[in-house]
Amino acid sequence: MKPLRVAGNVAELPSTVFGARSLMWWATLGMMVIEGWTLALLVVSYLYLRQNFASWPPLRTPHPSLVVPTTNLVLMFVSCVPAYMSARSAKQFDTVRVRRWLVVFSIIVVAITVVRWWELWALNTRWDTNAYGSAAWTIVGLHTTLLALDVADTVGLTLLFFIRELPAKMYTDTNDNSFYWYFSVAVWIPIYLIVYVGPRIF
Amino acid sequence: MTSSQREPMLPAETTLSEEEVAREAAALDRVWAGRPGFWGWLTAVDHKSIGKRYLVTTFAMFLAGGILAAFMRTQLMRPENTVLGPDRYNQVFTVHGTTMMFLFAVPVMTAMGIYFVPLMVGARNIAFPRANAFGYWTYFVGVVFLYVSLIANTGPDTGWFAYVPLSGPQYSPGHRVDVWAQLVTFTEIAALIAAVNVIVTVFKLRSPGMSLNRLPLFVWAQLVVSFMIVFAMPAVAAGSTLMLGLDRTVNSHWFNPAEGGDALLWQHIFWFFGHPEVYIIFLPALGFITPIVETFARRKVFGYTALVMSNITTAFFAFGLWVHHMFATPIPELGQSLFTAASMVIAIPTGVQIFCWLATLWAGRAELRVPLLFVLGFIFTFVIGGISGVMLASVAFDKQAHDTFFVVAHLHYVLLGGGVMPLFGAFYFWFPKITGRMLDETLGKLHFWLFVIGVNVTFFPMHVLGLEGMPRRVYTYLESTGWGSLNLVATLGAYTIALSVIVFLVNAIRSWWGGEVAGANPWNSSGLEWATTSPPPPYNFVHVPVTTSRHPLWDTTVELPVLSGLRTDRREVLVTTTFDARPDYRHEDPAPSIWPLYLALCMGLTFIGGIFSPYLVVVGLALTLPGLFGLAWQSITNHRGPDHVDAPQALAETA
Amino acid sequence: MHSAFAPASPQAHLVATLWWWMLGVGGAIWLAVIATMLYVTLARRGRRGPDDLQHVPDATRRRMERVVLGAGSLTVLVLAAFLVFDFSVGHALAQHPQRALTIDITGHQWWWEAEYEDPDPSKRLTTANEIHVPTGEPVQFKLRSADVIHSFWAPNLNGKKDLIPGYLSTLWFEADTAGVYRGQCAEFCGLQHAKMAFYVVAEPRAKFQAWLAAGAQSPPPPTDSTQLYGQRVFLSSGCAVCHTIGGTAAQAFVGPPLTHVMSRATIAAGALANTRANLMAWITNPQAIKPGARMPAVPLTGPQLAALVDYLGTLK
Repeated sequence: MKPLRVAGNVAELPSTVFGARSLMWWATLGMMVIEGWTLALLVVSYLYLRQNFASWPPLRTPHPSLVVPTTNLVLMFVSCVPAYMSARSAKQFDTVRVRRWLVVFSIIVVAITVVRWWELWALNTRWDTNAYGSAAWTIVGLHTTLLALDVADTVGLTLLFFIRELPAKMYTDTNDNSFYWYFSVAVWIPIYLIVYVGPRIF
Repeated sequence: MTSSQREPMLPAETTLSEEEVAREAAALDRVWAGRPGFWGWLTAVDHKSIGKRYLVTTFAMFLAGGILAAFMRTQLMRPENTVLGPDRYNQVFTVHGTTMMFLFAVPVMTAMGIYFVPLMVGARNIAFPRANAFGYWTYFVGVVFLYVSLIANTGPDTGWFAYVPLSGPQYSPGHRVDVWAQLVTFTEIAALIAAVNVIVTVFKLRSPGMSLNRLPLFVWAQLVVSFMIVFAMPAVAAGSTLMLGLDRTVNSHWFNPAEGGDALLWQHIFWFFGHPEVYIIFLPALGFITPIVETFARRKVFGYTALVMSNITTAFFAFGLWVHHMFATPIPELGQSLFTAASMVIAIPTGVQIFCWLATLWAGRAELRVPLLFVLGFIFTFVIGGISGVMLASVAFDKQAHDTFFVVAHLHYVLLGGGVMPLFGAFYFWFPKITGRMLDETLGKLHFWLFVIGVNVTFFPMHVLGLEGMPRRVYTYLESTGWGSLNLVATLGAYTIALSVIVFLVNAIRSWWGGEVAGANPWNSSGLEWATTSPPPPYNFVHVPVTTSRHPLWDTTVELPVLSGLRTDRREVLVTTTFDARPDYRHEDPAPSIWPLYLALCMGLTFIGGIFSPYLVVVGLALTLPGLFGLAWQSITNHRGPDHVDAPQALAETA
Repeated sequence: MHSAFAPASPQAHLVATLWWWMLGVGGAIWLAVIATMLYVTLARRGRRGPDDLQHVPDATRRRMERVVLGAGSLTVLVLAAFLVFDFSVGHALAQHPQRALTIDITGHQWWWEAEYEDPDPSKRLTTANEIHVPTGEPVQFKLRSADVIHSFWAPNLNGKKDLIPGYLSTLWFEADTAGVYRGQCAEFCGLQHAKMAFYVVAEPRAKFQAWLAAGAQSPPPPTDSTQLYGQRVFLSSGCAVCHTIGGTAAQAFVGPPLTHVMSRATIAAGALANTRANLMAWITNPQAIKPGARMPAVPLTGPQLAALVDYLGTLK
């Protein structure tokens, strides 16, 4: 082996960073791309099946209801506030405020996930009625698994913050947790428009 | 940006004495050591342990798939043979294809990436070691599941492509196709995890100074393919795990024409994944070739930029070809023409790569060692597959050749010639790095000749058989068809392949225990992986290597520059900036952990249980939660402070 | 006859010409690449100079650039030529005939149903696994599936086309040489995909016309007592649940119609020659010949079987 020459020292570099500099942020981004792309492919398939029907929704199938989905959409927008605040407090290592905002965030994420149950039935069809029902249920169902992951992540993180003092990297995780939530909300907007509003238009 | 900004030139400029290196290494040995014994094996998170495991398992799958192939060839050796009945034959050819595509070819290429990408970019570990272990265990659950099913006579039997409606609930009742659909889920999860891991390792853990234009071509290929996996695998996740799975278990109608579903939708979805899949196997194999050619021609490769661009354009076009698997379906002819054009265009970057390697060999003095022989075997065989591929791109010709033995010949020329031959070359080339021992050269040459002859004798006659009308996936044929003699030739060729693989196996086992000791850089090659011992220590490099060129070990003639200052009292890796690879922060790497295995078993319960009862899905998911919590808890309790944060208002000093 | 190498229609001829050209040009390219490979590796063996890891001389580099660029450009040109050739062949094949004899093909697991379209329903003929066509005129096929995906392929006459549930596909060709051409299902369709063959019998118009006219007639009723007994066996032993015989109560299409079964050269979708012994073997135990086939073994006594086969022998 060749002899080594020391060309520099990295001991002074930080051990915790936020955002795109940190590894976990990239892992979160990877999840988003994979899940977003899966949802996109399902939406394309939904539109592909549209060609097989004379009307959309098919005959004798009512339009999806809009009350519950719209309420939940508004709830999702509102939820971005605690998401943002918990991330901001984490970046300032303000443990008290992180705890406070994570509790608010957890409550609202759980609430959104619970409302999702009625949101599924607001499709006004069943998955085994016809291909239209199958497609709509699959898309909304897959997004529900994102919500479930958000619940596990946010509630778990909240618990950890109350159980003990945490190392700096958990503050980074708090920031990434909000980052992932913004994605869950953002990806829902086109789904809401296509699956719930769309059948009234095309 | 000036070069002084790009290079991390900090004051200390001292040559390290051997004692200093040894002292540092002893401290690192303590902190990076895995747990002892069987428990240590279950909890390993070192990318090399996982990579080695992956390589051994995928090779076992190559043998299993090969044995199934031998059964098929024996059945088809003569007309109306009775070695396998139609029911067994359909399981065998389905599991052969599924094994080779999902359990051998794709994972073996990602396994090479998992083992070598961190070493080649000068990192101490892969970006997400525990996820990496989880990916392996998930894959392993899939392997066990498929083969237990096959032995229990519930092996999938509708082909590795599982076309609906044949694979749908009406025409495939029972659980055979469910086994296939869930197996695909396991593989796609493992592949996606490996892909994200490789991407982040390449983006964030490169050796300081290794800007993207100094990235080894092996790593470029792995990076490009990882992106392809990220965009291809979700298609089969949507298609098989969701649509087909739901149609089969809860009576949804994605593919049921009677309720507005669509049988062709499956083909679009499947081939949108399935065609890139071929390049997911092929591009990493091309990545193996460049270092082999460089090393044995004793020349730097000609056309680095052209090779990188070829990789990227191939990946791009690979997503625009899927309809050429559907030329015989009733889809509009104009659309087909576009796919013909794209299918032909993709031959250009591949051609350019072969020309660049030939030019490199021409400029140098080829030394015909076994790795290079396999590269030559690759060119000999693969070019035939490439040319038959261009033929198949023609809609008119494809309508004759599609779904016949001509395509069987083509795809095996491409996959064995373009995938397995470079892979064997890579085994001979990198075996010394993994094991510290050389493979035997004489047995290697015997293996090479038997393999190249075997492949060509097996598959060349199939071109003729296909055009003489022999369709694929038939368990037998009548004597009056006249296909008997060429089938016999093909079968004899298949036995030759089997013999060559046995020679390789003997060579590998003998050399692992008793081969010639290799040393750090037995081939006098140029990449960073050769800058550490063979096999490398758990932390790969005692000091973080600094990269000043594309061929660090050839261009730094006297001393290799390194950085010091990573802590030796905890597992620490150096994270660098995405484009220029400037040192950015010190990341704490996780300790060995049982949770990846636990979570993979929960995943197995969720998906396998889901075949039988939706309640098992709930149970599996509920059991997942403590696993996720355990992962986080382990990160917290194993953490060794103090933390350095560079935000001025940051005060927290923890644990 | 069953081979794309022996085209018997203008359509298959075009494709064969395309194939031979691509083979010739592709083969030449392969030879050139292999010759280059052997030259750059073997011809310079033993003249191993010192390692030159740092640089390649400029003159060599320029030569390499020229050669790689030249080879790359040649690749592009050859591909462009293939593309034009392919498009022209594709264009010729896509010219659908204005008026043509139309045959509706339905794929079943594992046999082929063929119905000859005619404005007069009484002249419509439905047969199975043996498709007669007139030579020298275009014949159009409308392809549908009754269950899973199949693919209709007679390589001497044209390429294949898939039969997909929920879709209608079309295919046409014009046989220019009289003969019997074998075809086989090309899309994996389950257990007996291997034994789902059919024959295309191309014959001059007059002969075809005669066959068509005879086919539209019901067969003459049985004459002797054995045949009558055989017919009773057919109608009472479950055969009629799946099969059709014109002029009788048997009118089901689960299995191939048997109205003129004796006019066909093979039985069981090309699996067996149509002989008395094979018929008996097939009826007695079809699962031994095509395991998984939809036809169950029919439990018959010896005299019943003999009478049944006697009766079937009259269905010419």
